[in-house]
Amino acid sequence: MKLLEIKGLTAGYGAGPVLKGIDIDVEEGEIVTLLGSNGAGKSTTLRTLSGLVPQVSGEILYRGQSIRGLKPEAIVRLGISHVPEGRRIFPGLTVRENIILGASNRKGVPRRVLEGEVDEMLTFFSDLKRLEHALGWTLSGGQLQMVAVARGLMAKPQLLLLDEPSLGLAPLIVQQVFRIVASIRSLGTTVLLVEQNAHMALSVADRGYVLETGKLLVSGKPEALWNNPQVRAAYLGGAAAKSA
Amino acid sequence: MSDFFQLIFQGLGIGAIYALVSLGFVLLIRAASVVNFGQGEFSMLGAYLLVVFFNILGLNYFFGIGLSVIIMAGFGLIFAYATYWPLRFRGGLPVIISTIGASIFLQNMVLWLYGPSTVPIDGLFDSDGFQIGEVFISSQYLAIIVIAAALVLLQYLIFEKTLLGKKLQATSQDKEMASLLGIPVVIMIMITFAYSAALGGLAGILVAPILFVSVGMAGIITLKAFAANIIGGYGSIPGAILGGLALGVAETLGANYISVPYKDAFAFLMLLAFLMVRPQGLFGEKISEKA
Repeated sequence: MKLLEIKGLTAGYGAGPVLKGIDIDVEEGEIVTLLGSNGAGKSTTLRTLSGLVPQVSGEILYRGQSIRGLKPEAIVRLGISHVPEGRRIFPGLTVRENIILGASNRKGVPRRVLEGEVDEMLTFFSDLKRLEHALGWTLSGGQLQMVAVARGLMAKPQLLLLDEPSLGLAPLIVQQVFRIVASIRSLGTTVLLVEQNAHMALSVADRGYVLETGKLLVSGKPEALWNNPQVRAAYLGGAAAKSA
Repeated sequence: MSDFFQLIFQGLGIGAIYALVSLGFVLLIRAASVVNFGQGEFSMLGAYLLVVFFNILGLNYFFGIGLSVIIMAGFGLIFAYATYWPLRFRGGLPVIISTIGASIFLQNMVLWLYGPSTVPIDGLFDSDGFQIGEVFISSQYLAIIVIAAALVLLQYLIFEKTLLGKKLQATSQDKEMASLLGIPVVIMIMITFAYSAALGGLAGILVAPILFVSVGMAGIITLKAFAANIIGGYGSIPGAILGGLALGVAETLGANYISVPYKDAFAFLMLLAFLMVRPQGLFGEKISEKA
């Protein structure tokens, strides 16, 4: 069974929906990337999946069950964890506190167990170890992104929604973030990755979808997308075409 | 000099009340972005509940206090449901207006039930107090200071040491993100309303033997809590506590050395002075420096 099936999804607020009938499938264990320029509807897709944006029509099936009308709190309990654009780390809480709150969807797990899992996270994201008691607002962009991913993983998700993890980061840090994205698969977590950095995203993804103004332009394997002239013209643009 | 210490002690006592009410006020600002102009009514209702339980029904004083505080926590939920819930997506101003409406309604409700007269009520202890050197330590003022300090400590422990506290803080910092993590945001906000009302109610009960119980106490306590909040720094928890204490001391000193009838005016003079010289308050951020 597919982990996630999006069928003819139209979503958004008010009269002009942002998404106009898109279809996306994600198989268990895959890394799937959603590409597209600004305003294509990538973030809206993730925000609809996590219950922040209402579905107008179409269907979202997670493990074969519709998630229509569910609140964000309920969706994360199903195992879909959303690491939103801008990281959204709680500025007044420490790294450790931010990470442990990622497990808020798991009821009845003793605090002692959760603290142990935070320690494992801090080992996995070793750069964060020395920052565990630093407040969120003091962190750099790369550090914030690590905390955001660690917090997202504390939900023990089957599906991790990652929105623009490379945004605003220095090139070296971007590479580090993508190494982490690639290694998340080894934890048994499926990833739906939204990116503007197509090159990096396609280098870690199994498949990709390209959105354009709320509609699906094309989908396929990374090589196919990379070599698709339509994609290059519409999204990757002249600069990427020259550098390839 | 002994006069001075006497006044400081009394100022801290009354200031501790302002601090408690201001604390409830700040928690609602932080958790729900609600500026609650019915905060003083929580104090008034708490005090009237004790009047009912102790003066009228003759229940045990301390049992009456416990019952009043529990009822006030429940009342906080009703208050939230009536003033905040229907308007929660409409931004700050409609909710402010709605809390002002609730405050007018509650004052008139009490006026209708009890009339305008002031009701005296017993203090916590039979003894009035004791003398240390030349300073008279009133037992009620001392109890207020000790209880307020204990509550501040308890709140610190809840907010800093428990996961519930962290979830409450997360909710106040970013509600949407909190909901994405599976934190039940609505329940967190409701807990804050219940706690804020219980805190306000207890403050009203503690101050009742000093100010006596009246409809008028609500308005003045709301305004003092608001002033304490601005002086301490808008939305700051340590600011609410220090702002409350500073206000209590300033108005007590002012009343004694300058003019008793102008006691309340000193609080607002201090508020005006802060707004002109240091609008961000003692612990606030400079708003003008934010984008």
